[in-house]
Parts: sequence; C-alpha cells; structure tokens
Amino acid sequence: MAVNLKRSSGGGTQVAVSRRRMLAWITGTGLVGSGVLSAVSNFVFIKPRATYGQPQRFSIGKPEDFPPGTRIALETRRICVVREGNRLAALSTTCTHLGCIVGLADTGFACPCHGSRFDADGTVTGGPAPRPLPWFKVTLAPNGEIEVDKDTEITPGSYLTL
Amino acid sequence: MSKETASPSLLTAVKELPGNVWKSLFRNPLPTNDLERSSTSFTNFFLHIHPVKVHKNTLRPLYTLGLGLVSFFLFVILVVTGILLMFYYVPSTAQAYDRMLDLRGSVAFGTILRNMHRWSAHGMVAVVVMHLCRVFLTGSYKKPREFNWVLGVVLLLLTLLMSFTGYLLPWDQLAFWAITVGTAIAGYAPVVGKDIQFLLMGGSTVGQEALLRFYVLHVAVLPATLTLAIAIHFWRIRKDGGLSRPADADPTPPMEMMGAQAGSKPSLPEGKKTYGLQGLVRGPLTKVNNIPDNTVFSWPNLFMSELFVFVMTLAVILVLALLFNAPLEEPVNVMHPPNPAKAPWYFLGLQEMVSYSAFWGGIGVPGIFVGLLLLAPYLDRSPKGVGVWFSRDRLLANTIFLTFLAANIIFVIIGTFFRGPNWAFVTPW
Ligand code: HEM
Ligand code: FES
Repeated sequence: MAVNLKRSSGGGTQVAVSRRRMLAWITGTGLVGSGVLSAVSNFVFIKPRATYGQPQRFSIGKPEDFPPGTRIALETRRICVVREGNRLAALSTTCTHLGCIVGLADTGFACPCHGSRFDADGTVTGGPAPRPLPWFKVTLAPNGEIEVDKDTEITPGSYLTL
Repeated sequence: MSKETASPSLLTAVKELPGNVWKSLFRNPLPTNDLERSSTSFTNFFLHIHPVKVHKNTLRPLYTLGLGLVSFFLFVILVVTGILLMFYYVPSTAQAYDRMLDLRGSVAFGTILRNMHRWSAHGMVAVVVMHLCRVFLTGSYKKPREFNWVLGVVLLLLTLLMSFTGYLLPWDQLAFWAITVGTAIAGYAPVVGKDIQFLLMGGSTVGQEALLRFYVLHVAVLPATLTLAIAIHFWRIRKDGGLSRPADADPTPPMEMMGAQAGSKPSLPEGKKTYGLQGLVRGPLTKVNNIPDNTVFSWPNLFMSELFVFVMTLAVILVLALLFNAPLEEPVNVMHPPNPAKAPWYFLGLQEMVSYSAFWGGIGVPGIFVGLLLLAPYLDRSPKGVGVWFSRDRLLANTIFLTFLAANIIFVIIGTFFRGPNWAFVTPW
C-alpha cells in the first residue's frame, strides 16, 4: 500500500466541490446546533423543578410546652427552641460550615464534624464556621400555637415576647 | 485451484471439528518463531493494543513498578464485582441499608464480593496516586507525553469521583455524613457552587434524590467515562513511542549500517523501500534495515509479566477480602452525626484543611494543586532527566513535588489519627 505524499487536490469539478462544501456546512451547523441544544436541555432536565422535603413553615406546639429556662433541640426540624422568661426564639442547628447538625453543649453549641463552636446566641466562638447560627422568625398563631418560619431569618437576639 | 480436489467428506469434517473451531478462533498456534510471535500479537484482539516488540527498559520491574497496570487491573476487578453487586442493590433510602445486611447475611458470596469491591476501591486510589508519583519522579510527563499526563490527572479525578459517589450507596451513618459534608464543600465554589450542590443532590438536602443521582453516576456515567479515558491513555502510550526511557537506552546504529559515506552526517537509513501507511504514521523511525535495538518480542516477555501482575493483584485483593470485612455503620440517622464524622482516609487531608477554612481547604488549595499538576508538563520544558528515577537534572522539580506530596500525607495522617470527638486534637496513644 504505497501512499502519495503530495497533498491530493481532492479531485472533482467545480460543481462537486461547491456541493461538498454546502453539505459540510449543513452537517457542521446541524452537529454544533444539536450539541448545544442537547447540552442545554440535559442541564434543564437534571435540574429538578419540584423538590421533595419538609415544609419550611410549621408549628411546634403551645408555649406551655417550653417552660422558662428551656433549651430544646427539635432534631427532625433542625432547630433549637430557647425560652428565657417570657421571651422565646428558634435557632438553626444546621452548622453554617458544612451542614452537620450541631449538638447542645454547656457553652452553647458544638459541631462534631470540624469542631466549630457557638455560644448560646449562635455566635461563632471557634472553629471554621463562617457565620453565626441563623435565628428564624417565630410567631404566635391565632390558635395559640407557636409557628416557626425557616424561610425568614431575623436578626440574632430578637425574641418573641409571649 | 484445481477442480479435481475432492471436498472432504462429512466424516472428516466431523472428526476435525474441534481442531477447526479452535483454528478459526485463534489464527495462530502457539508461536515458535519470531514471525509467528509477531503475528500472534498483531492478530489477536486482546493483544493487538501491544506493540509486537517492546523495549527492554519497559519490562524492568523497578522502572514502572507495574503501578499503571495494577491500577487498570483493580479497575477491572471493580467493574466485575460491581456488576455482580448491582444484582442485589436497590438505590432507595428505604432499602439500601437492608440490602447491605442481606449481602452480608443471606447472599451467597455476598460478603466477599462486597469486601473485594471495597478494598479494590481503596487500593485503586492509593495505586493511582503512586503511579502518578512514579511518572513524575521519572520525568515521564515530558514531551511528547504531556497530554497523556493531563489525561492521567483526569483519570485520577475520575477515580476519586468514583469512590466519592460509591461512598454514599450503603446509606449508613458514615455515608450520609461524609456526603453531606462533601456536597457542602462543592457549595463553596465561586459563582456556580450552589448550583452544582443542588444538581448533585437533586434537592436541598441529602436524601432519596441524592442517592439515586449518586447511583447513576457511580454505575453508569463515571465508569463509562473512565473506560473511555483509560482507552485513550493506553492508545497514547503507543503513539508517544512506548514508555519513556533514558536517552542512552538505545544503541546508536553503527556507521556502516547507516549507509553513510565517510564525512557525511550520519542519517537514518533510507532504504529503497516504499513506505507503507503503517510506517508513515509511526514517524521517521520506521525500521527498514536491521538496526540493532534493545527490544524483545512482546510474546511472551510482556504478556507473561502482565499476566503475572494481574494474578498478584487478584491474589492480594482476595486475601484482603477474606481477612477484613468492609465496614458498615449504623443505618442513617439524619438527626445525629457520628462524632467525629470522618470521610474515607484519602479525603481526610481535605477534611483537615476544611476544618481551617471551608473555601481554602475544600476549593482553593485543591484547585491550585490540580492546576499545578495539569500544567506541570507545560511549565517544565527541560528535556533532561527523562527515564530515570530521581534524576540529578530534576532535583528542583522532584523536590517541589515531594514537598507537596509530604504535606498532603501529613494532613491525611493528622486527620486520620489525631482528630477525635468534635474534631479536637487527640493523640492516638
Ligand atoms: C485510572 C487510572 C490509571 C490507569 C489505569 C493508568 C494506566 C497506565 C498504564 C498501564 C501505563 C503503562 C506504564 C505503567 O504501568 O506504569 C501508564 C503510563 C502512564 N501514565 Fe497512567 N494510568 C492511570 C492514571 C494516571 C495518572 C493519575 C497519571 C498522571 C497524572 C498518569 C500518567 C501516565 C503517563 C504520563 C504514562 C506514560 C509513562 C511513561 O511513558 O513512562 N496515569 N498508565
Ligand atoms: S460542619 Fe460543622 S464544623 Fe464543619
């Protein structure tokens, strides 16, 4: 199998060349077009429209369930309810570092994953956590139950007065 | 052909059936001379990715340490055991953990398959990293192998992703918390971080959607990509002229062989031969005359050593699988992270760095590492010191590399042995 090393002219008349060129254009545009389209649509496809999860607004019971002086972690909700006298608040227990659940400690909260520490108000006192633990909006519903809205963060230190 | 040749009778056909089937399957009998040896390597599908002849340096066990091969064989073992495990595994948060218990308790050979899969996965990460070290420390990433090195870095990343996605599948405490932390690290990436995190988990927390996504990545997307990348990696080795070797590994052809007249510059022989297509693609070094070289036939030299490495790899994995059980922690409890919650050992260096700063430990420093690795062959353009371990000419490059490596290993050791509850510093003794 000998090979002609000179670049071959491709052969063919003018007509054949322009037809080939047109075919190449159509094919190229089609390929690039469908590539871009499928990339975009794949991206849209794998991005879920609806997510399945817990509701972000929920009620946690009557004020009597939280006598003054309590600090109770509601684990399924990932919040900690604090009551001092007649003031009540809900802090997130999701570590602001990488999402582990912080545990209650004497000095406030401690994260088991990379050792972040927070005081009782959620302020970072040590470790890699970049932000304090958020406080969530707490309201008293007309039926007398306490409602927590995890979609609304409030400034730390603002309590609901009962 | 003469028409007289009588077609053989049916009886002879039946008598010769086994032999004929065999011969149609294998074109060549076991080779006895060099021509047949070439032909055997060349015409067998599984052998033809090898060259017919291979350089003696390539076969030196102490040069490659067989590490690339071991990586490949571990991948093969992972694919086979992984497919078998798929027959019993269900990627559902309600069932996954029970399926793990079934594998342990009621599936025949379930335990050993799972052990083999787990230990090969750990082994592959370790061996691929050692292979990277071998390639770097022998200067084998240099021209013309730059791109194969880049491909190698991609292979390393794919290997890590394989093990990261596989880690979630048992749906036990370790799995859940390691992936919670791992995906949160992705969230720290600038601009696209939150989107990547959301796409990976298919939601805002690690749950059923995340498990399904990780499963699909682990059993389909990543293995397919890895297979393709390995195929290109092997192809490039051939096209880059085989494995790297020292400059003086090939004898200079004696003058009279080169047809050189006195006084003229020695040049490669230009036979009267027309170059075939095969010769052209192999570059200007096509052998026309018998230039003395340092090669030996791949059959049996290369094939035997490869087979030996495979048997050894399999043996080690089998022994490990018989001696040690793959861990399985408590079932997932989304309310209580274990304390401390540790990632697999090869991510503990990351976890240690992340405990100083999520962005720098999880994204910044690893990003710089990978960037430097990818760029290494394009930054270090000196052609010196290729093909020998720890070449004097590569003192600087090797020192930088070893420093980075040592730093990594130290972080892994700290994360593994010196971190206790609440990630506080503890001493293991
Ligand atoms: C899935 C992982 C990998 C597999 C299966 C694999 C396989 C192989 C094999 C079988 C060889 C032949 C020589 C030997 O055994 O050492 C090789 C050579 C090579 N590998 Fe890999 N490899 C992998 C990852 C990597 C990585 C992470 C790098 C570096 C970043 C890399 C860069 C190279 C280079 C540059 C060569 C050519 C070396 C030379 O010419 O001496 N590979 N690889
Ligand atoms: S997740 Fe809490 S310290 Fe890292």
